Amino acid sequence: MAAILDQSDSNQENQRHPRLIGWMLLSPLLIWLALFVIAPAAILFVYSFCSRDALGQVVYDFNLGNYARVFDPIYIKILLRSIGYAALTTIICIILGYPVAYFIGKARPDTRNLLLMLVMIPFWTSFLIRTYAWITILKSEGLMNGMLQYTKLISAPIEILYTPYAIIIGLVYAYLPFMILPIYGSVEKLDNALVEAAMDLGAGPVRAFSNVIIPLTWPGIVAGTLLVFIPSIGMFAITDLMGGARVPMIGNVIQNQFLQARDWPFGAALGMTLMFLFIIAFALLTRKSHPA
Amino acid sequence: MKRTQLACLALASILALTFSACSPKSSDPTASGKPTTGSKQLNLFAWSEYVPQAIIDDFTKETGIKVNYETYASNEEMVSKLVAGATPYDLVMPSEYTVEALLKANKLAPLDLTQIPNIKNIAPEYTNLAHDPGFKYSVPWMSGSVGIVVNTEKITDPVTGYADFFQEKHKGRIVVLNDNREMVSWVLNTLGLSINDVSPANLEKVRPILAGWIKMVKVFDSDSPKTALLNGDVDLGIVWSGEAAILYKENKKFKYTLPKEGAHRFIDSLAIPVGSPHADAAHLFINYILRPEVSVIISQNFPYTNPNLEARKLLTPEELGNPASYPADSSMLETFRDIGMAAADIDKLVTDLKSSN
Repeated sequence: MAAILDQSDSNQENQRHPRLIGWMLLSPLLIWLALFVIAPAAILFVYSFCSRDALGQVVYDFNLGNYARVFDPIYIKILLRSIGYAALTTIICIILGYPVAYFIGKARPDTRNLLLMLVMIPFWTSFLIRTYAWITILKSEGLMNGMLQYTKLISAPIEILYTPYAIIIGLVYAYLPFMILPIYGSVEKLDNALVEAAMDLGAGPVRAFSNVIIPLTWPGIVAGTLLVFIPSIGMFAITDLMGGARVPMIGNVIQNQFLQARDWPFGAALGMTLMFLFIIAFALLTRKSHPA
Repeated sequence: MKRTQLACLALASILALTFSACSPKSSDPTASGKPTTGSKQLNLFAWSEYVPQAIIDDFTKETGIKVNYETYASNEEMVSKLVAGATPYDLVMPSEYTVEALLKANKLAPLDLTQIPNIKNIAPEYTNLAHDPGFKYSVPWMSGSVGIVVNTEKITDPVTGYADFFQEKHKGRIVVLNDNREMVSWVLNTLGLSINDVSPANLEKVRPILAGWIKMVKVFDSDSPKTALLNGDVDLGIVWSGEAAILYKENKKFKYTLPKEGAHRFIDSLAIPVGSPHADAAHLFINYILRPEVSVIISQNFPYTNPNLEARKLLTPEELGNPASYPADSSMLETFRDIGMAAADIDKLVTDLKSSN
């Protein structure tokens, strides 16, 4: 009896140690998440049921008025438009990013590292500075119009800056690397033997691509889609700087509540709604990526 | 990005808690919260791009008081941080309607005018205004207006007011401030209504006109509306007078006009929040910047309208002749009053109109 007890004790001891070490190793991440993700989200959640006073301070009274306002047609329309822009950005990023990622993944190792570095070089400069660089390129008297007019391709400057086209260019530019890198990760792991096997069994290039390569790189596409789609819904800097703040996106509306309108509870309710939508989208996408 | 901001807020409040828990133990007598004489530092919370570094350096050299200059980009941001109470600010720089809002909430301490003899330099038109009755809580720093700037090389027809400005032929050639309350005030001026009467009934009258105007605008930008004009992307703008003054200095083709229907005069003032730990240093600083030879440095760096008459005498004729800084006739100017909760109605109206664009 005593021996059995002893044994079970030492068993527990053995299990406990690695677990404890595991938790200790995880603790920086957990503390970080608790402080910077969970705590702010909890504050937002509480605020979203409050109201504001004349000076814009949060008044702690429970009400659902902010959520009722979220479903006002004005904001639903803006939300749908933001989703549309984000979806278009994601699709363009997949179309542009997939071949690049595939090429990098299949290149020789030394070329591959060089190409990967080229993809990452833009991150060495501040995002805002890169956006201002686009303004210099796209403006009426800018580089692009100057070159096109000099080469007599066009007679009058093309107006791109401060139009929806500029917003899409800015979004695709900002998020393209987030599509390329995860797809590259999947392509690198892709076993060429499987593609050759498909060809041997009579599949043409199109069939091999759609039935073998796409399913095998699907996790990369899903990860890239999440990394591009979600941040581009909430983006407000590009719509302000390159879109001329003409068409409000949901990110601009939320930003306005925290600054100009001084209505933090409504901003919080919009933020919570958006977060809820992200969770649903995440659940749907990740479920698809593990086909039964 | 919003989440990052909130994370920063959370971190700031944690730091603030730590700080306030420690301060009673601190040996610094000035941290006790009571105004004491001989403070060695000053927490200045002011607009970004508005306080020349030279002034701060010279003040420290003369008085030995270290100035901690923290900046903000909007009145609303300043109010949020001030009422959160994380940092004990000694001086803030609210615009006129924010002075009024802070006074209503008892957030400002009365000034001891005996410590500010240089206040006599302020022009009478800036004293005893509706937002600070009796002139007891705020001292004007700089003033300015919101008006029309036109690139006269591209637009040759005269533009004297909002009616000339918002015309179909100017569609897509216009930049305006990305400020919802400003936009609504232009329509109220056009309708002959008070820019401070933003009742739901008036906003309904504003709606159809503003809807038409918003369709003509190419760029909305409050931070640097001069950029689109300088880049040649637009030829007309409704901008801060200081931006227009810089454009005029750059090129005389940019002509500034105050709309004949009426316009907004903003007054940014220095004020001492309740609970300021270094109120003596704050008074010293206010008196210091009211010296003509100091105040003129502000004008040279940021060409808004200087309310300090003695400082104006030190300006060059060219600086005084800049029509954006010193318009010939400013009788149609009106200041903003605090509108409290109506800010949300205005935000909703403009968001709706922009969205239907």
